[in-house]
Amino acid sequence: MATNSPPSIDHSRPPLYRDVTVVKWVVQIAALALTLGALWFLADQAGDNLRASNVPTDYDFLSVNPGIDLSSGIDTDPDTGGRALWVGMVNTLRMAVAGIFVATILGVIVGLARLSNNWLLQKIGTVFVETLRNVPLLVQILFYGAVFASLDRVTKDVGPINGWLHLSNKGLSLPRVHIADGFYQWLIVMCIGIFIANEFRKRRIRQQDATGEESYPLLSAFAVLTFVAAVGWFIHPIFGFVGEIFGALSSFVSGIPQTVLQIAIGVLCVGSSALWIRSFLNSRRTPAGLARLTDDDYFRMIFAAVGGILGAIFFLILWPGLSSWMINSLSDLFNVLSNKFGDGRTGRPIDVDLPNIVQTGKFPNYGPSGLNFSIGFAAVFFGVVFYTAAFIAEIVRGGILAVPKGQSEAAAALGLKRATALRRVIIPQAARVMLPPLGNQYLNLTKNTSLAIAVGYSDIVQVGQTVYNQTGKTLPVVSIWMLFYLSCSLSISVIVNFFNVRMRIVER
Amino acid sequence: MSIDDATTAVSEKLAGREDMIVCVDVDKFYGDFQALKRVTATIKEGEVAVVCGPSGSGKSTWIRCINRLEVHQGGDIVVDGIELTNDLRNIERIRSEVGMVFQQFNLFPHLTVLDNITLAPIWVRKKPRAEAESMARALLERVGIPEQAEKFPGQLSGGQQQRVAIARSLAMEPRVMLFDEPTSALDPEMIKEVLDVMKELALSGMTMMVVTHEMGFAREVADRIMFMEGGEIVEVGTPEHFFTNPTEDRTKLFLSQIL
Repeated sequence: MATNSPPSIDHSRPPLYRDVTVVKWVVQIAALALTLGALWFLADQAGDNLRASNVPTDYDFLSVNPGIDLSSGIDTDPDTGGRALWVGMVNTLRMAVAGIFVATILGVIVGLARLSNNWLLQKIGTVFVETLRNVPLLVQILFYGAVFASLDRVTKDVGPINGWLHLSNKGLSLPRVHIADGFYQWLIVMCIGIFIANEFRKRRIRQQDATGEESYPLLSAFAVLTFVAAVGWFIHPIFGFVGEIFGALSSFVSGIPQTVLQIAIGVLCVGSSALWIRSFLNSRRTPAGLARLTDDDYFRMIFAAVGGILGAIFFLILWPGLSSWMINSLSDLFNVLSNKFGDGRTGRPIDVDLPNIVQTGKFPNYGPSGLNFSIGFAAVFFGVVFYTAAFIAEIVRGGILAVPKGQSEAAAALGLKRATALRRVIIPQAARVMLPPLGNQYLNLTKNTSLAIAVGYSDIVQVGQTVYNQTGKTLPVVSIWMLFYLSCSLSISVIVNFFNVRMRIVER
Repeated sequence: MSIDDATTAVSEKLAGREDMIVCVDVDKFYGDFQALKRVTATIKEGEVAVVCGPSGSGKSTWIRCINRLEVHQGGDIVVDGIELTNDLRNIERIRSEVGMVFQQFNLFPHLTVLDNITLAPIWVRKKPRAEAESMARALLERVGIPEQAEKFPGQLSGGQQQRVAIARSLAMEPRVMLFDEPTSALDPEMIKEVLDVMKELALSGMTMMVVTHEMGFAREVADRIMFMEGGEIVEVGTPEHFFTNPTEDRTKLFLSQIL
């Protein structure tokens, strides 16, 4: 074949400084070295300066009693700084999850209202959006706080409340639904029920495909699940024996020797990187044999190999305590689980307590038996929900308008009913446009909950500020805030991206 | 009058056939602008009627009125004995009996070719999925692209997309097919493959109403050509009459511009 090539082709290699492959590798390595060097330099400088100016950078406060009370949360009188921050995180997460849920529903309703042919609905939607998105969120939160603070005071009558709910300037108290004795046994019944219901749903779908008759698969699966839940309410004690299984597992796990687990972890690290490299090579294999690997492919394989070996070294030498920690915590977990079953747990799986009023300090307040929402919670909640819903409404409207008119015309021309056309044709395409900006709004909502500090709701920022006012550990607290918000935001991004990829339209 | 002569000639060929589409004095306004002016025509069962005319003459508006994508404000439209009124049930019945092919194809980009075709049979006709799919594959065979069933519309050429759109309409087993400039968005080399499918459909006896500028197709396949301008039907006749001996000056002008 070589004889066929024209004589003018020069097969000699170019000089190194002109060789694309060499230049690429050199630039990559140089960029990596430069980045690492800059980071190291900055960290070193910052450390020197902090030491010189005596700014504390240690995390001792996490295990010291901060001596603070929180306005609301799972623990209003935390033992340690770490516990206090944990309560704040839970409060922030509660607010974010509840807010995202309600803001999405409200936003979709308002967005559809703005698109409707009904004049009144359209105008109400427009006024909602234009008012709420043009007033700063902080002003709105302060406004709601002021409104709720002007409610009646709690009366001095201590004791259970006459009725289901109580509203006052301390907030709202509702009956609290909580997990009771038989819950975990009932949970096993429910898992079996979900499995049965899912099988039932699949069967109904197959039936619908075979006969063409509408068989309402989701609805009937839900009916099956409800039936199982109701039966399980009475028969759940038969699963009391599960506790013994967990007990046996617990003693089995605590009997595993540390060295065995240690070696297993090392093998897992190296083995998973080896497996990854193998599957990567397979994915590059064409029917004609192994395709030529690019430089990037070599980069990836080298990184995977180095990562696996470094991981093994890290777990075997630098952190040998990991295996004993894993054994202990797993054994503890099984122990805890085994205590949730058996032993006369024949009561109801779920129970309800009515709200009551207690007086521990100077003023009467709602007792722990009810589900209490403080004024601060309500102010922040309504603030972020209404504010974000206004933006979500615009996203929904834009998403639906972005689907070409021809799509609904084609659906109509085929005889599809308006509802079927929306569900099968319009919404799947609109969702594709809506998801990325919707993800942004969820991130904004989560971060905006930090405005809770304005009305004294104990979110992570408010708690953190109290902690560093007491202890002076400003930088460590700020680092925890940053890490917390970063992990929240990344989690939301990952979830939204997952759906984004699933909705992608195939072209070419 | 010559229009009557031409209509009579067609009527002899289609004598004794049922009326499929009857339009009587149909009016349509956009604001103050009158898009259709007392349009009156009858299309028989099995007839291929081609509607042509300069752009803005109301041909697309008229064809879109027939399955109520546009609402007519005056006159009557009766399709296969069902009158098109504000009655939702009538609208749905007419739409499931009338297939429509659009200039821009309007395939559903998020569904595969097969799902595009089976969507309406499954959700409107309540057909079992297996039956709908085997029919869809048979239709893809008929329009000449059986190997594209699992692909998405974005992966097909324009001509293939339009043939899928035709198959999608045929899956509802319509009594009438409406074509709204089906080849206007296509590259020249793809026009033929779509026209071939339409010719095959015409020969199989389907009632068709076609808005098009493809005069070759009109001459070869049409039973009757209607020329519209300014929202009115100006001239009606057999292809022979229309191309060789048009009576109206406006028709002559139009033909001199496009032939």
